[in-house]
Amino acid sequence: MDRLIFHIDVNSAFLSWEAVYRLHILGDKTDLRQIPSAVGGDVKKRHGIILARSLPAKKFGIRTGDTLADALKLCPDLVVVPPHYDLYDSCSKALMEILKEYSPCVEQYSVDEAFCDMTGTAHLYGSPVAAANLIKDRIYRELGFTVNIGISTNKVLAKMASDFKKPNLVHTLFPEELETKLWRLPVDDLFYVGHATKRKLHALGIHTIGELATTDLDILRSHFKKFGEVIYAFANGMDLSVVSDEPHVNKGYGNSTTIAFDVDRPDTAKIVLLSLAEKVCSRLRADNAMATVVAVGIVNNEFKYESHQMTLFSPTNITIEVHRAACVLFDELWDGSPIRKLGIRTSKVVYGKTDRQLNLFDLDRFEKFSKLDKAVDAVRERFGEDSIMRAVFLKNPVYHMAGGVAPEKRRPDYGNGIKE
Amino acid sequence: MLNVPVDVIATFNVQGKIKPNYIRVEDEDHTLRTYKIEDVISCKEEKYAGVPAILFCCNIVREDCLQLINIRYHIKTHQWVIVGDEGKNERQTAVRIY
Repeated sequence: MDRLIFHIDVNSAFLSWEAVYRLHILGDKTDLRQIPSAVGGDVKKRHGIILARSLPAKKFGIRTGDTLADALKLCPDLVVVPPHYDLYDSCSKALMEILKEYSPCVEQYSVDEAFCDMTGTAHLYGSPVAAANLIKDRIYRELGFTVNIGISTNKVLAKMASDFKKPNLVHTLFPEELETKLWRLPVDDLFYVGHATKRKLHALGIHTIGELATTDLDILRSHFKKFGEVIYAFANGMDLSVVSDEPHVNKGYGNSTTIAFDVDRPDTAKIVLLSLAEKVCSRLRADNAMATVVAVGIVNNEFKYESHQMTLFSPTNITIEVHRAACVLFDELWDGSPIRKLGIRTSKVVYGKTDRQLNLFDLDRFEKFSKLDKAVDAVRERFGEDSIMRAVFLKNPVYHMAGGVAPEKRRPDYGNGIKE
Repeated sequence: MLNVPVDVIATFNVQGKIKPNYIRVEDEDHTLRTYKIEDVISCKEEKYAGVPAILFCCNIVREDCLQLINIRYHIKTHQWVIVGDEGKNERQTAVRIY
């Protein structure tokens, strides 16, 4: 029997969520979705890009990822609101809760997207289109934001279908509709086809998904290797992956931060690395994981990116150990050019209790530090992230746990006393 | 007008049903005024933007008139707000002679 897969995608998620919050919770009268508006970072802190924009803003040619300055040139009246990640969490959770009422198998694909395996629900909710409309309208009625739902027999087609005309619509893309609905679209609309692949495909004279689907597979293989098979299969609507409701395991933990000023001193950079190590390691410890490989990445003021990695003697989640490794890597990597962004990534993660390779010269005093970190985590868990920090961060412009979502982005200051 | 947090006295019955009894709001001249909530016309559970709340539509007596107001109880933060009374709901602005 054919499967039945829904892909649910929130229309301009961050912006819709902010709009609903302002309308219903704060009591604002303007709906951000009806005017040219965008969610954007803070230019002063150099986080100045558009994270999401309304459909009216799209008409001005503003795209996600544009700099705020460029966006304001295109539309001087653009209303820019700060990000609000706590809200995105709660909206995302509420959405998933509703979806789980309709299907036992829901895979959250990102903060605003999910796949539902709806195979065998025909007797519960009627035809697939009726069921999708039911879900879509319920989400709008209860949560206040609109979604697109794509319906097909596999994940990739469902995802392509939800990307057709927006907002607030249900589309089907069953295998028999491939030629009429999918093949006429430009090739870069296909899932997995980005800028680089698009350029190569254009060079081969392939401009639409249909042309890709009818190209000889051997030609694609010779140009793209294995990846050629993937996009060929997608263009022909073939995808065997299942909707998996089990959370996937993290292969690595990383954090990075764009610093508000260019860093030109190694000691400052190492403080930033310490704050990143603190964040990465607290995430590792929270998941009861340890990493074996540490990598450091530097983006300099000319946006040149370089990275360097090393394998540790033994897996660890101790802040000090990761920081020490990061400093060694940094010294080897840095060419002295002003630094815009720093990152730490860890990989080769092991979960649970692992036997640690004992070191005769355990100068890091593993046991002691692990107890210290545990105590610090416990204090932060109870009294908040900022309740305890290393003394070096006192009166330091560098936040003591850099990377991830900065506290001011969790919730902007609305100034009227309504809490979430 | 934006939604403003307000002080409320409410009763909670054994079934967990909530009934607001008094509301205290600041007047135009910044004095606090307490109004008795005469009756609750309707209540509705909401979850806009994933924020769980209960919206109460109730009557208060103000200057010898019954006035319909909407107040919202935020379940997570236990905060009450008075819902701005322009436009959205026509019933809200209706003032009947007592």
